[in-house]
Amino acid sequence: MRRYARALLRNNRADAEDLVQEALVRAVSRADSFQAGTNLRAWLFTILHNVHVNQVRSKVGKPAEVDVDDVESKLVSPSRQEESVELREMMRLIDALPEEQRKVLLLVALEGLKYEEVAEMLGVPIGTVMSRLSRAREAIRAKLANEGGVALRRVK
Amino acid sequence: MNARAVTEDDLHAYVDGQLDSTRRLAVERWLADDPDAAARVEDYRAQTALLHDLFDGVLREPPSDAVQDLSDRLKGRLAFNDNRPPWHARPLLRVAAAVLLLLAGAGGGWFGRGVQTVSPAGQQRQTLATFAEEATQAHRFYTADERFQVELGADNQDELNGWLSKRVGRDVFGPDLARIGFRLIGGRSLPTDLGAGAQYMYVNDANKRITLFVGAPQSGNPSTFSFTQNGDVATFYWVEGALSYALAGRLSKEELLEIAKAVYSDVKAGPPRRPPANEPPPRPVEVAPPPSTAPQDAPATVQPISDTQKPKDS
Repeated sequence: MRRYARALLRNNRADAEDLVQEALVRAVSRADSFQAGTNLRAWLFTILHNVHVNQVRSKVGKPAEVDVDDVESKLVSPSRQEESVELREMMRLIDALPEEQRKVLLLVALEGLKYEEVAEMLGVPIGTVMSRLSRAREAIRAKLANEGGVALRRVK
Repeated sequence: MNARAVTEDDLHAYVDGQLDSTRRLAVERWLADDPDAAARVEDYRAQTALLHDLFDGVLREPPSDAVQDLSDRLKGRLAFNDNRPPWHARPLLRVAAAVLLLLAGAGGGWFGRGVQTVSPAGQQRQTLATFAEEATQAHRFYTADERFQVELGADNQDELNGWLSKRVGRDVFGPDLARIGFRLIGGRSLPTDLGAGAQYMYVNDANKRITLFVGAPQSGNPSTFSFTQNGDVATFYWVEGALSYALAGRLSKEELLEIAKAVYSDVKAGPPRRPPANEPPPRPVEVAPPPSTAPQDAPATVQPISDTQKPKDS
């Protein structure tokens, strides 16, 4: 949850922690509605998603953004400096995605949720999940390819 | 076997490990003949790896006090709610463990995976699949940052094996894979919801890392090689005697299978000599094993377990 919140909120640590906290408050108050035998992760992510949607509605404008260069040094350990360029680029490309695509990509690729779970969570048909996922991946792929390499790992 | 053409959706589901085995085979055959699609799959997997590189670090950060407190309360509430029949007891523990670690995040991002109860009949298969999934997540997590990859190095293998055997409660060892180009770096113990597990990490000259996860989930299971793919991480898993093994790596299925065969033959042969009878006796082996092609040479360098050494604190 914390990882997804951080990725969703463009690496803003304070906002992400607030989001998780509020989602947890709600989860505790609704713990009765969780049914043993169903997927806990999907349940928690659904709550997190709903809280986030409400927060966005109630806020004017976008959440504060953090300069990618500031967080990048914390994300990359010294031994992996050679990868920092592609990590930074990836961060920019994720940020550039429309939010609906970014959510699907993060829930599927980062958090490993099933397509059906994501569809239910977002309240859209599974076909929509697939098309958003596809568009997100292709958008990132096209931009990274423009940087000079076909495979991401070869981008310098 | 399956005449349906491979679709765009199938490629994604393949990358995300959401295909059944039949369909996965169909996609793999398709990819062999379609370099463009294969390149896309490779790129999608690289994207997944980058996402984890970017954000897995969050899991190592301590949560705020408020979040920690709420996690504990939620765990308590969910545990309190459950008053199901006895076979739910284990899943309940799993839910509790999952909540704690999913939310607290202190070193355990892989725990929240697959938290769902199953029928008693499906439970054994599910247990092993869960074990493999934890191994996969642990691989992803501990190969993400070279600073944290092992708790105890492989400089003294007796110490490493002895320490991990104590943690797992059974005689475990990291096989010598030098003959296939992989060097043991070290290992760590991991508390899983299926009991303690040991993770051994290896590296080859190309700096590719693989991990062998060893644990003792409480069930008898079919002793065949099973395969799962989660994002860019491939995992083979199987049962040998009282222990379950999962070998994970960012490698092709074929490459990983060759390594799995080598590991399999080594662990089957076991360490050259057994330690004195201070370990619990292994549970009876019900089934004998799969890959007939596995080479049978025993490991030469793994020494008997010593119980007396104390590893450095983690």
